[in-house]
Amino acid sequence: MARSEFAKKTLLGIVPADSPFYAFHPVTRLAFLFVLSVTPMFIDRPEINLAIIAMTFGLFWWGRVRMSDLKKYRLLLVTVALFMFIVAYLAPGDKAQLTPVRLVGLTLYWEPMRWAFVSYVRLMAMLFGAILYFSTNRERDVLVGLRTLRLPFQVSYVAGLSLRSAGMFMEDFATIREAEQARALDLDALSLREKVKLYTMYTVPLFAVALRRADEISAALYARGYTLSGRPGTGGKRTDYLRDKSVLRVRDWVVSFGLLGTFVVIAIVSRTTGVFSIQASPLIGFVEQLLGIG
Amino acid sequence: MNAIELSGVTWRYEHAKEPALVDVDLAIPEGEFVLVIGPNEAGKTTLVSAIKGLIPNSITGVLKGDVLVFGERVESIKPPVLAKQIGFVFADPESQFTALTVEEEIVFGLENVGWPRETIGKRVEWAARITGVEDLLDKPPYDISGGQKQRVAIASVIAMQPRILILDEPTAMIDPLGKDLVVRICAELKNDHDMTIVVVEHNIEAFAPLADKVVMVNEGRVERVAPPREIFRDLDYLLARDVHPPQVSQVFGRLRERGLYRGELPLSDEEGFASWRTLPEGAAR
Repeated sequence: MARSEFAKKTLLGIVPADSPFYAFHPVTRLAFLFVLSVTPMFIDRPEINLAIIAMTFGLFWWGRVRMSDLKKYRLLLVTVALFMFIVAYLAPGDKAQLTPVRLVGLTLYWEPMRWAFVSYVRLMAMLFGAILYFSTNRERDVLVGLRTLRLPFQVSYVAGLSLRSAGMFMEDFATIREAEQARALDLDALSLREKVKLYTMYTVPLFAVALRRADEISAALYARGYTLSGRPGTGGKRTDYLRDKSVLRVRDWVVSFGLLGTFVVIAIVSRTTGVFSIQASPLIGFVEQLLGIG
Repeated sequence: MNAIELSGVTWRYEHAKEPALVDVDLAIPEGEFVLVIGPNEAGKTTLVSAIKGLIPNSITGVLKGDVLVFGERVESIKPPVLAKQIGFVFADPESQFTALTVEEEIVFGLENVGWPRETIGKRVEWAARITGVEDLLDKPPYDISGGQKQRVAIASVIAMQPRILILDEPTAMIDPLGKDLVVRICAELKNDHDMTIVVVEHNIEAFAPLADKVVMVNEGRVERVAPPREIFRDLDYLLARDVHPPQVSQVFGRLRERGLYRGELPLSDEEGFASWRTLPEGAAR
């Protein structure tokens, strides 16, 4: 089966052509994003955040997102992990207050390492929540969701225009690079210094093209009768055709309230009890035992 | 009634030494199909930009003279009202896309002029059907072919059912099949929807048979305004200005020079076939 039959390209990634998520109103899908990516902020226990990651992967599978499309995030996961753990290793803080641990010939300090691990797992949980959202929502769904939440038309329109401009910028960049490669530019043969110089030089044509595009878009907005206020020519309320086309059904209300309710409960429990704290984590306790700490 | 009237229009772009339009007088009656031709840099796009009000409202420079749309000065008409009266399709369809899906692109102008939801739905359906973009509605406009982009651009403008439709080189960036589709759309709009249509085009061949009137622009001046048959009669005048009349007209023009043909120069292939039959025996050799 051709790729286009089950996947559609968006400015932000690739979404499946058909997904159970599409049965939900875009605002319900925004609730998924909110809950999946904000809830981990209230949870320190890594095993719970790992469970959220596992659940998110379950949703990827259920939402018919191609797992192979997620491979492109591997580098990001590794880079973030390296950055966080290197910082925890090189700048642990006041060493006198910390617990040293000898591991493979290195002296590490347990508390900053523990915090790096907890934060990394939390960050990954939040990140996968966002990736799930952009892997199951097209640009239009994002805008319809925001407009349903009564975000002013101008704001959502500018957001959409910015997304589109980012896409156009990337297209222009690709065109300039292809034109250079067509004239025998071999990027692999360039040193790092030459590459930096080349990328600096790209800014000139890209800036010129961006200015021209801005001019064209301004003329196009004028030609189609757009005014800065966003109000229609009749002076009344602007019809939002796409927003009005999507209807919130009972299942949307149920799922949205269920998700938000869960979030509120977790936030309250997190703030009033220690259930989600590191101290309550059996996983951290197990590692501490293993390392002979505490 | 004249849909468009220009009198003594001179326009100089900011920082330009020479004016792009010089003392232009032009009247286009309502319901006419007008083809604007001329060499590169002649001022064709500037002329239609002035009619649409992009000059001087969106482009800076010095304007003299009057541009009237249905008797009203174009500068004084508010953008949403003007958008209802004049639709403008840019040469580069990409440059006019501001939305993230084709449907939103078509809807955008309709929301700006203030149509209710039901009307918008019907207009989207109508415009998508005429331009054949029904299957593209949920696609992003940057992810479709050049010909499809141009049809989406036209759909987003005709959905507003403007009284005047301006197309600035609508076939400049598309393949031959896409060009045919654009010409077919224009023919349908002319025949069935009583719009005043102004097309700026180098591809004269395709649009000449549709035109009621041809406007020849050269060096910022409107040099000739006449029915196509009259304009294309003077082949030497056009070719001297790098304007290429329909090939069928050129062929019969050569035959006329050699005394082998005496009739009117044909504008379309169909007229060419008919004229061919009137040629004396052996003229083809």
